[in-house]
This record gives sequence, structure tokens and C-alpha cells, in this order.
Amino acid sequence: MATSIESFSSIREIAIMQLKAFKEAGGKVVGRYCAYTPTELILAAGAVPVGLCGTSEKPIPAAEEVLPRNLCPLVKSSYGFAATDTCPFFHFSDFILGETTCDGKKKMFEIMQDIKPVHVMQLPYAGLKHALEMWSEELRRLRRYLEEQFEVKINDDDIWQAIDLVNRESAALKAVCDLNQADPPLMSGKELLSVSWSRSFSTDVEEVIRMLEELSASLAASPSSKQTGLPRILLTGCPVGTGTEKVVVLAEDLGANVVAMELCSGYKTLSLQTDTSYDDPITALADKYLQIPCSCMSPNQGRLELIQQMIKDFQVDAVIDLTWQACHTYNIEAYKVGQLVRNLELPYLQLETDYSQADVESLKVRIEALLEII
Amino acid sequence: MADYRQMWSDLGMDLEKHDILCEVLPDAFGGVYLSQENRPEGMDYFNFVVAEIHGVRPAELIEHQQKGGKVFGTFCVYVPDEIIFAAGGIATGLCGGSQFWVPGGEKVLPANTCPLIKASVGARLDGTCPFFQIADMYIGETTCDGKKKAWEILNQDVPVYVMDLPQMKREKDLQAWEEEIKSLMQKVEEVTGNKITIEVLAENIKLINKKRNALARLYALRKTSPVPISGKDALLITQIAFYDDPGRFTDQLNLLCDELDKRVSNGEGVFPADAPRIMITGTPMAIPNWKLHHVVETLGAAVVVEELCTGVRYFENPVDQSGSSLDEQVQYLAERYMKTNCACFTPNPGRIEDIMRLAEEYRIDGIIDCNLQFCGLYSTESYLVQQAVKKAGIPVMHIETDYSEQDFEQMRTRVEAFLEMLEK
Ligand code: SF4
Ligand code: SF4
Repeated sequence: MATSIESFSSIREIAIMQLKAFKEAGGKVVGRYCAYTPTELILAAGAVPVGLCGTSEKPIPAAEEVLPRNLCPLVKSSYGFAATDTCPFFHFSDFILGETTCDGKKKMFEIMQDIKPVHVMQLPYAGLKHALEMWSEELRRLRRYLEEQFEVKINDDDIWQAIDLVNRESAALKAVCDLNQADPPLMSGKELLSVSWSRSFSTDVEEVIRMLEELSASLAASPSSKQTGLPRILLTGCPVGTGTEKVVVLAEDLGANVVAMELCSGYKTLSLQTDTSYDDPITALADKYLQIPCSCMSPNQGRLELIQQMIKDFQVDAVIDLTWQACHTYNIEAYKVGQLVRNLELPYLQLETDYSQADVESLKVRIEALLEII
Repeated sequence: MADYRQMWSDLGMDLEKHDILCEVLPDAFGGVYLSQENRPEGMDYFNFVVAEIHGVRPAELIEHQQKGGKVFGTFCVYVPDEIIFAAGGIATGLCGGSQFWVPGGEKVLPANTCPLIKASVGARLDGTCPFFQIADMYIGETTCDGKKKAWEILNQDVPVYVMDLPQMKREKDLQAWEEEIKSLMQKVEEVTGNKITIEVLAENIKLINKKRNALARLYALRKTSPVPISGKDALLITQIAFYDDPGRFTDQLNLLCDELDKRVSNGEGVFPADAPRIMITGTPMAIPNWKLHHVVETLGAAVVVEELCTGVRYFENPVDQSGSSLDEQVQYLAERYMKTNCACFTPNPGRIEDIMRLAEEYRIDGIIDCNLQFCGLYSTESYLVQQAVKKAGIPVMHIETDYSEQDFEQMRTRVEAFLEMLEK
């Protein structure tokens, strides 16, 4: 039977069972929070990478006992899960792979250290003269760390294999997401999110690739079930996952279609492929990762270019830029994104919000106003 | 203040708006500073600098420019002044410390941004501070998320050169910082048209070291009890250090210290010997941000040391002067600057060690850890700071504040309760 969108929503539950068994059999697991941390190296070490970004409001009060309130909810939620030991993926992780993308995470990792070992990678700004060299060096350091921790030897060939795997996964996911260029789109924003978010929990990348390929084949084969003529929205900004999709839900309930997402789990990463013509897999990886156009980069021209391209490819009618409260890099970069979108004569709406439902009414009013001017 | 309106208007400033600032500043300064009792006479110079803040020094900077010199605006204690002065430029600190500039910043920045950043951007975009208008180039750095991204916006209005500050302190990070200093050197040489030589750099390393030594001398005097100078006055002096002429500043500060020496030998102070001795740690207090010091000292406690950028982080660790080649000099500069412990580094155990050391040296009764709103770095690190000092048995309180006067009463109440607890 062809893979349906629904089958993605069970990946997380299945993965928990599989991870448990995997750990019991002596398997190694690495928890990560960021698109910049190279899953390829973790895979090459024979370990399983799991994404840990907190997307639930629940553990935030526990986090606030330690962390300041004025911090991004993603950081607080992530730390809260760790502190309360309520996230199975964190629980199973042998160590945490952190990075210095933003002030909040960088400092949170120092405190998380008391709960589990954290290995932090220092992320350079892509525009720097020595950025490629510096990031390659950080990747080599991680390679050595993985080798020591897991008592394995990581060969270049192992890395090339993992690169191939991850390249294929990104391409397969991109093929699914690209389908939404059609009018009417083939998937709602919620469905899109469910697919791109859920697949990141899988412990079996080959299986995910197979599911994604089947999904695109079956979607492409049947006519869209979506209504035509609805406003087509591009969502950009901070990471969104299942549990924090309130803006997507609101926009779609108000009669829009979120057709594409320039987010960490979306086009920000999935249009990137590691260049296999390099001699050294580490440099090849470093080169790919530095192309991620996250707002933590300065300057970050790549994001503006990507948004512009997506507006064209997806025939976008309006852009919603979502910032989690106190995420300074996205929040400040919104000024430039707004400039760009308005120059293209499209409506632009920046929303700064958190994981709670407290502001749903006012968000609704603002999204409604946006949809009216389309 | 003398009449500088022509100069301000030549700088393209918004005179009407600026007038509002000129009207409130003397009152604010008078209320906070001139009302203090038994101030050292040597403070007259620093009072004068503040009274003429938008006149005398800006006029000097303009004169420097008329002779073909360049002025560089800086925002951070990691930016090496030595390099700028060695290329015949003048470095001047630009951090905004007043609520007056915040709304201007909020026109382009989110309200949820650190007030220091909003004020700095606002002062430039609104044209209400001569220093921001005069600078030919700003030197930014990547200390925090907010500043890093704000440079991109400021850069649309004024050239901003950004130094990439490492976020860790490993051997290779030190080397990376050396490289950044070399790149800055090239940039500054290009802008000024002057080549930096070993001799001139050595001279300027000495010049800035002398300023550091004078500040260290002032702070050492604050270790005595009764303390010969108020925390407010010491803070003001440190704030002025960021933009005054380094040579003149050093001379004036040493004169003041001579006077304080006498006070110390006579056992004379500005607070009773048993007044609680407070250390303030956290984010910088840019001029005219005197709020917390004013609250603490009007409640009868003495602020005797600041573990702030406008405090010991600015002057501790002189640069090794023995470098005999440019490479070596840059290496020593990099080493010196990397000894500064800001929360932007991860991990940052050095800052906690500094705090413990200062607590002992200055015989601290209590610590107030204070950060500006939305500074994720210092507010998160506060957990680790409080953990460490509590373990050492030192009372500590944490305050998060901005530049507005709104929380003044609440701050006062909280500090009062903290001080009462200390006296028990
Ligand atoms: S959303 Fe922003 S503040 Fe939050 S973790 Fe990501 S980069 Fe950091
Ligand atoms: S106080 Fe914090 S947020 Fe503000 S400029 Fe300094 S480091 Fe950045």
C-alpha cells in the first residue's frame, strides 16, 4: 500500500520503541538541536542522531526555575524536557551535540552539562575569510570525539556513505515539498509540517527515503483534494514543529493555504546537497552546512535570496515571518525580510509569539487583516 | 554648555530633538551627582566633561578630522583601541545609555531588544548624538545576537566594520582573534591612510596601558574602608574613559587619585566605615545609566567595585609591552583581550573566578547581579553566577532592568530589602 501522509505521524512513536531496543542492544544515540550539526558524522559513527528541539509548552515552567523567562520558548522547552527527564529521545541520548547558533542555546548548554555530557561546536559566520577552515576543524574535532566516545573508527568511506544517504533523504523530502508549487497545492501546511517534522525522528533513514518517494509518487498521481484560489502563504522564520504549529493552524483555519516553509526542517536545509566532488568528505560537509541561511549568520543574504526564489516558485501571495519571543537574530532580521517582501509588493506580516495559546485571538486578528489585503 | 549649535547643525543633527536631551541632562546629572556630599575636588574635571559632553570632545574630534584624521566608533571592550590610535585614528565609545534614544531604535529594531542596542541605533538614526554623527566608521563585533544583527541594519546608514569575536577560548580561538586584530589593522590603515609601525604601536600600547593603570589605581583605592570615593563617581569616571582623550584622562585621573591617597591616609571617606560594601556584576552601564548605583548609594550602601565592561573588564590585565615585532605585539594584544571574561564566551568559568576574587579583594558584603532586559547571555549566566557565590556564602540578588524610570521604585524596594538582610 502506498505511504500516506498519516503514516508519517506514527514515526515518532515507532522510533521510541526502536530506540529503546537499539539502546538495550548497546546502540549509541546522539541528541542534537540544530540543523548545523552534521548528522552524517553521527551516522558514520554507527550511531543514531535524534532531533531534540522542544516543541511543547509543558516543561517550560520547570525550565524557568533555572533559565530566565525572557528566553526563546524553544530553548526553555528543550531545557525543560532535559531537566524533567520527560523526553524519551533526550533520555536515550548518550551525549548532546550542541552548537553556538544563538546566545540562548549557547548559554543553556553550559547549564545542561550538569544533566548530560554536551559537546559544543563553535559555528563561524559563513561570510568569514576562514569560515570553511574553521568549521571543517570543528567537524574534525567532532569526528575525534565520536571516535573516542563510541570507541569506533570513522573512515572516509563511512562518511561518504552517510553523505549519500542524507543527500538522498533531502532530495526525497524536497521532491515532496516541491509538489506544492501546483495550484491548488497538494498538501496543507499542517500536512507538510507533519511530513517534514516527523521524518526527523526516524531511526532508519533508508525507510524514510522509501516513504517519501512513495508519498510523492502517490500525491503526484492523484488530483489535489485542496480548494483552489485560496491565498498562498509562505511561512518563514524560527523552527516550527508538531506542537508549535499554531500559526499554521490559524492561517489555514482562516482560509489560507500555507504552501511552503522556509524553516529549519523545510527549505532552509532541504535544498542543500553535499558536493561529492570534494576529495575530503569533511570539507564537503563543512561547505554544505555553511550554506544554511540561518539568521545566526551575519550577513545572511542567502535567506533573502531563498525567500525571493520561493515566492516565485510557489506563486506566493503573502509572507508570514514567525519569530519566537526573544529570538533576537530572527526578530531583528525581520526588518530586512520585511524590506524585501514589501519591495516585491507583497503583504508581509511578522508575528512574535511563544508556545502558549494566550495570544491566539490577537494573532487571529492580525492574520485576518493580512488575508484581507491579498 | 557653550553654544555648539552651529557644529551640531553642520553634523546634520536633529537640533529640536537634541534640545530636549540637552534640557534634561543637567537636571539628571545634578540630581544624581552634584547632590552627593563630600565629593573629591578632583571630580571637577569629570563634572566638566559631562557638562560639556556634546561640545568639547566632539569639537576636538572634528578638529582631528579637519586635519585629515579619522574617528572610529566602538561598542565593546574587546575592540583594541591601541590599533586605532596607532594608525593615527581616534577611537570613541558609542554605547547608548539613555532611554531618550530607545524609541528611535525601536523604529527599526524589535521592542524586545536590549536597550543598549536600541539606544545606540536610535542615537544614530535620530541624529541626536554628535559622537554617532562624527564617527567615520563604526567598529562592531559579534559579541551577542542583538548587536550582530543590528550592525546589518546600521550598515545601511554608516559603514560598520565587524570583528568576529570567538565564542570559546581554546588555543585556536586565540589565534583566530589574532587574525581578526590583523584584519582590523589592515582596515584601519586603509581608512586612515597611515601605516602602523612597531614604534607607534608600542607607544600606543603604553598610552592605553597608562590609562588602564590609572583606572586600576582608582579601583585599588576603593578597596579601603571607609571608601574615599562613591561608586557613582567611579562609574562616571569609567564611562568617561571610553571617549575622552586617553592622555588627558589619565593625567586627570591620577590627580584625583593623589587626592584620594590623602583621604585614605586621613581615614576620610564618603560613606561610614560600616556601610555595606556592594559589588555590581553583569551588563555594561553606558553613560548616562546611573540608575542602580544611585538606588544603592542613596540607600546608604557603597558600591565599591563593578565587574562590568564599565568596570574592571575595561582595565584589568595590561598588555605585555615587550613585543619586538608587529606579530608579537598583536599576539600580546590578542592575549590581553582574550583574558577579559564576558558572558558571550562558552564556557565562561573565568568570569566566576573573577567575581570570587573581587569579592575577596574588595571585602564585599553583597553582590547585585544586574543585566539589561533581553540580554540572554548575562541573564542565563546569572544562574551559574548565583550558584557559585551562594555556595561561597555571599548574599546575592539578581535584577533585570532597562533604561526607563518605570521600575525605579520597585528596584529601590528590592535593593532596600536586600540591604536590610545584609545588616542582620
Ligand atoms: S528560535 Fe532563535 S533563539 Fe530559539 S533556539 Fe532557534 S535561533 Fe535560538
Ligand atoms: S548587554 Fe547583552 S544584549 Fe546588550 S549589547 Fe551587551 S551583550 Fe548584547
